Amino acid sequence: MSDQRHHRHRPEEMHHEKKKSKESKSSRASDQRSSKHHRHEHRHSGLDQSGGYDEMTSRRIQEASCSRDVHQRDRKKESSDEGHGNKHGRSDRRREEEAEKYRHKHRKMERVGDRDKETYRGKDVHVRDMAREDVRPRDKHGRMEGMREQEEEEEEWDRQEMWEFNWEEYRSTLNKIFFRDEDFIVRGTPEYDDFWKFFHRYCKFQMKKSGDQRPARPHHSSPQQKTLGLPDKYDKRYRINFSIKTKDVEEKLKYLRTGSRTNDDEDLTPSRVAEFRLAWLHYIDFCQKQKLQKLAKLRHDQASLPIHQYRDQIVQAVRQHRVVVVAGDTGCGKSTQVPQYLMSAGFTCIACTQPRRIACISLAKRVGYETLNEYGSEVAYQVRFEGSKTDATRILFLTEGLLLRQVTTDPTLSQYSIIVLDEVHERHLNGDFLLGVLRALLRAQEDLKMVLMSATINIKLFAGYFNGAPVIQVPGRLYPIQLEYLPIKQEEQTSKSERLDPRPYLRVMQRIDHKYPGTERGDLLIFLSGMSEITAVVEAGRLYAQQTKRWIVLPLHSTLSIEEQDKVFDIAPEGVRKCIVSTNIAETSITIDGVRFICDSGKVKEMSYDPGAKMQRLQEFWISRASAEQRKGRAGRTGPGVCFRMYDESEYDNFQEYATPEIQRVPLDSTLLQMISMGLRNPRKFPFIEPPAMSSIENSVAFLKEQGALTEEETLTPIGRMLARLPVDVVIGKMLIMGTVFHVIDPVLSIAAALSVQSPFHQSARTNPDAMHARKPLESDHGDPFTLLNAFDEWIQVKAGGRNSSRKWCRRRGLEEQRFYEMVKLKEQFKDLLKDHGLLEGEQDYYYREEERRRRHGERRRLQELKRRHDKGPRKRKVLKLEHEDIELSGGDDDDDDEVDIKDIEFKLKHDLNQLQETSNQTRSFTLRDVLLLKVVLCSGLYPLVAIADDCNTYRRDSEQVFHTKSKQFVVLHPTGVFCSNPEPLQLPHTEGKQGVAQLKGQVSSKHQLLAYTSLLETNKPYLVNTMRIPAVQTLMLYAHCLDTNQDCTRIVSDYWLELTFPESEAAQLLLSSVIQLRVTWAKLLGLRLQESSRRKKDDDDEDDTSRKARKLEKVLARKLTEFLSSDVEYSIRRLGNSEIKNLFVGPLEVGSTANKPVPTLFSGECRPHPTKGGVQINDYLTYNCLQDDGMSVHSFMAHLRNSWTCPTCQVDMAVTLLERLQHQDQCQNKQDVSVDESRQLSGPSSLERLRKPWFCTTCQQEFSFTNTEILKHRRTHAQPAATGEGPTT
Amino acid sequence: MTEARARTKNSDKNRQLEGRKKQGDFICSLCDVSAPYDYLGTTPPYAKSIVLLEKAYVMKDPFAQGKEGHLVLGATCCLCDRCVCLGQDCSLFYTKRFCLPCVLQNIQEFPAEIREEVAKKKPLEKPR
Repeated sequence: MSDQRHHRHRPEEMHHEKKKSKESKSSRASDQRSSKHHRHEHRHSGLDQSGGYDEMTSRRIQEASCSRDVHQRDRKKESSDEGHGNKHGRSDRRREEEAEKYRHKHRKMERVGDRDKETYRGKDVHVRDMAREDVRPRDKHGRMEGMREQEEEEEEWDRQEMWEFNWEEYRSTLNKIFFRDEDFIVRGTPEYDDFWKFFHRYCKFQMKKSGDQRPARPHHSSPQQKTLGLPDKYDKRYRINFSIKTKDVEEKLKYLRTGSRTNDDEDLTPSRVAEFRLAWLHYIDFCQKQKLQKLAKLRHDQASLPIHQYRDQIVQAVRQHRVVVVAGDTGCGKSTQVPQYLMSAGFTCIACTQPRRIACISLAKRVGYETLNEYGSEVAYQVRFEGSKTDATRILFLTEGLLLRQVTTDPTLSQYSIIVLDEVHERHLNGDFLLGVLRALLRAQEDLKMVLMSATINIKLFAGYFNGAPVIQVPGRLYPIQLEYLPIKQEEQTSKSERLDPRPYLRVMQRIDHKYPGTERGDLLIFLSGMSEITAVVEAGRLYAQQTKRWIVLPLHSTLSIEEQDKVFDIAPEGVRKCIVSTNIAETSITIDGVRFICDSGKVKEMSYDPGAKMQRLQEFWISRASAEQRKGRAGRTGPGVCFRMYDESEYDNFQEYATPEIQRVPLDSTLLQMISMGLRNPRKFPFIEPPAMSSIENSVAFLKEQGALTEEETLTPIGRMLARLPVDVVIGKMLIMGTVFHVIDPVLSIAAALSVQSPFHQSARTNPDAMHARKPLESDHGDPFTLLNAFDEWIQVKAGGRNSSRKWCRRRGLEEQRFYEMVKLKEQFKDLLKDHGLLEGEQDYYYREEERRRRHGERRRLQELKRRHDKGPRKRKVLKLEHEDIELSGGDDDDDDEVDIKDIEFKLKHDLNQLQETSNQTRSFTLRDVLLLKVVLCSGLYPLVAIADDCNTYRRDSEQVFHTKSKQFVVLHPTGVFCSNPEPLQLPHTEGKQGVAQLKGQVSSKHQLLAYTSLLETNKPYLVNTMRIPAVQTLMLYAHCLDTNQDCTRIVSDYWLELTFPESEAAQLLLSSVIQLRVTWAKLLGLRLQESSRRKKDDDDEDDTSRKARKLEKVLARKLTEFLSSDVEYSIRRLGNSEIKNLFVGPLEVGSTANKPVPTLFSGECRPHPTKGGVQINDYLTYNCLQDDGMSVHSFMAHLRNSWTCPTCQVDMAVTLLERLQHQDQCQNKQDVSVDESRQLSGPSSLERLRKPWFCTTCQQEFSFTNTEILKHRRTHAQPAATGEGPTT
Repeated sequence: MTEARARTKNSDKNRQLEGRKKQGDFICSLCDVSAPYDYLGTTPPYAKSIVLLEKAYVMKDPFAQGKEGHLVLGATCCLCDRCVCLGQDCSLFYTKRFCLPCVLQNIQEFPAEIREEVAKKKPLEKPR
């Protein structure tokens, strides 16, 4: 409080300060100087009035001291600092520069929306000013000369010395005085560094300053009357509204002088410390002013947004209605402002959905900044991988998909009071789905409100969907755009397969060159449909640019690396324009400022889905009128623009009005699964805003049933429930679940993650031999998923090795490192989900040794520091170089390697590399058996996505390998796949086949392979994407939904399209029986696991029992599976022709034709004749003896021979036919596990009793209580005479 | 205000601040800049080593991470009691806080340095 008193009395004190003296030493020094002080004051006051005040806050030296002697010294120093600013020329220049900087910043800011440029700007300007002071002494040189005469030599020397003083030497002492942990600026913070930068400039400046003096100026004479009580003499210090509490400083100083550090004492005099203190005050004051300006600018910018005028109207409407539509075009500010309006209107739990993850993050940052909550969590985001939400969060930006997932766990979304759906006009699948869900929710949840925000597209549709919700239409901030139609000439139009003719686009560039002077800035944005078109135009454009030196041509599409993408935001040098050649990614997702010219091809490539062929199709379409307008609008964001349309106006008129919503062109599997898991029982009745085709729904329902996610009644199966909660494709989800069953979860997680993100392999690297060579060791001859796994593991190793920059490593190989980071995150998320659902046991906590912990702690601190520093400064826009045009993949960008790799730091902060490395080491020691098992697990998801090779494939690199899938024939390998460049591993080893054996249908071998793939994609050809070679018979037997056999099982048809022929019936039968066993055990184990997981959630008591059972089963299964996978039964495989498929089955029993059929009633009712195929249906996938025999089978009679056989499960000896054996196995397997369970609880005989069930024998017309084995035995007593007597089976 | 009163008031404020934040919105009566302030007084809680020489509206520095750091938004004009922000177009500090209209009214009482400064400012932005 003593400080305060000082303040209050300050003016008076200052007048009297000379009279008082305190510490002898310091006051002596100050007295000496104070005599000089007045002279200075006179000299400088003139300068001061030249306007230093408003321009140069930084220079304004403020002083607000409370302790007198320090104060006195300050004062003196201050006089030397005054008014050094403003030479006019300079300030104008600076203003220009600032304006230019602002423009850049503004553009950039709109792109990212969130970067805190302001801070940067403030510092930048200031530092540069100071710097300019150094480099341009001549600015004031003349004046300096003139003034020097009046200088008193000794005084100048004093001052010079003061600033020539090597402060750095005493940094540590100064640190102790000024920058302690409790002080305003703490050592080691960015502010601290910033201060020192400031201080060095300041010193240099002061040094110049000390020579730069002005003639004394008559002092301001006081006016007639004084009512305000202002001091007579002007002093800068009166202008400062704060002071530093200096008591501590003085004490510290005292301590230092009496203390041990005598060396310091000599040079670091109190007056120097005081100088330093003064500089410190300047710095704080400067920062305060900067921040207030920043705040004012922020408010000003907010107020100048078009939507600002509608603020009250919007808030009013939301208060009165439950649903409000806000329609506004780009740039009106709706995304950032509406949530804020709602928050300040008192809404507390505001959810804002965005179609894109990136937008969530940047909007949360931007809105946080605008609501002055940048570092709080009132405004937060939540996306698939991460979030910043806390209890304090009032506005949450999240993706549409995430909100949908929240509906599954919180069906009323009670955590939100208002939901803002942004960009609804984009009509993404999730967005449309969400609209429907929320519409239903409005009815259930009384106090929920909604705001729909869209571009001014199709507003009626949205308003109508919500019963005429009020619409508030906000004009965008768009400058006028001149429109020109430049249809492409007939001879320059290209057909689908031809390469795009770039000439029309070059003419647009020429046109711009001729018509608009190079001094007028403004870039060109060309919209093309796809990558190959972009490449064509970029190549031609670059040639043109080389000649003219007026263009920098940059491609932009989603498969480019992040760095390449970022280039479009860089600045072209003076007189040069950027020409950005882009897909429709620049239509909505990426906003580039400074674009003045638009060239619109009118085409777009869109993915469509062909449910019949189960194929995705990337096709070129005309765009809609809405997107044409959107594209045009991109020219008018920062100034008036021009839009060239490369089509005729009449064509434009024929465009469809709006783009086809996504829901009508993609598979609905995941959506339907989610819908059902939300409790919406009938997906066919879901009130979509624009419903998809009914066939599309039916297809998806059928697919989900096929995948075992839905029951026949269309309710969720346990697997389905699990799948619904995994934020991935059904296919990937199944892999994950199976991976947990077989304890190969880590590589499965890696592969699943890798398949769920974009490929890390850059396509453009394919033309780079170095990159391709460097990639070689990563490639796996098992297929693309394994290559991805290798790449990922290798990346982890590089990271953990720490010697090489992983960024460089990636660049050399043409890999996008970002994808690996995504994979790590996704993997982590999968793991958490599986743990949550009890499918994965939590890892044991890893205990670190003391030193290890310390080391880690130190490392973390260092990383956090690096990260903090990085967070301060956002990416700078670079100026592009004219030559710098090639897409560089390897080693080219090494210059930015010393930059902090923030991703790397974040990654290391989040993960323990050692642990990651350990797991990846495990992957590296994989045996072939492990690989096989992994393939099986992967196939559990991928099946039925398998393809068979064409017989005519050569398996040579130079030729194309053709494959057939069940629904689509003649598909080829995607050029990015490993098998495309290296097809040999797909070839059947020649030595294997027994050429001698009578062979009608293909080669006999035990090594036949199929290709599993993740998707079928048609661009100009149909391609198999992400292929993996798999053992044919094992995969088919394990996963086929239908296996149909002939009488002796030498022919097995899998899923109605692949025929396996076994030369040896015995081997085939063995195979079949082990399949039956395997599949039963498998299903049982899976059931147990799922059951276990659901139980684990409820209570933990019963856990041991089931898991013991599961573990036992697991062992059995692992053993059997290994046997099965390594079985070397020989067979041939071929694809059935269409006509063959038609006549595949014998068909249902016909009267009189029983002769060559087994009597179906022979056994219990569980085995019935298949209603359509004929034969006997053994279980849900296996139908015995239903194949139309081709008469070739010499073994057919064998089917009815009884062989003596001991069931390996129940150990009962019996003489059975093949059919009987299969049936017995199926049942016995089922029963056995039950009996194992129960026998543990009950004693022997009673457990047998349990298994008995009432059974009525149709032959002897008696009722028994039999176990299944007993039934079997009993039946045999009837069957024996029948078989020998009538001989119906022979 | 006497010294003693100022002191008690301040410690009251400090105590209040522990309990709740966000006292209300500070709005500059001249330029309409607004921001929620957390503290009104001379010893802002986020800057322990700093003493303000006027009773000012202070908020936690919104542009800085961490607990420390303050931002002085504005204060009341010593003559007309209007709330004004620290912006150079709205107010100036010369031993006390004056809003620009008041400065203009009493311009003759200010030293030449300030008179010149204000005169230069006027063509740029006319205070309302």
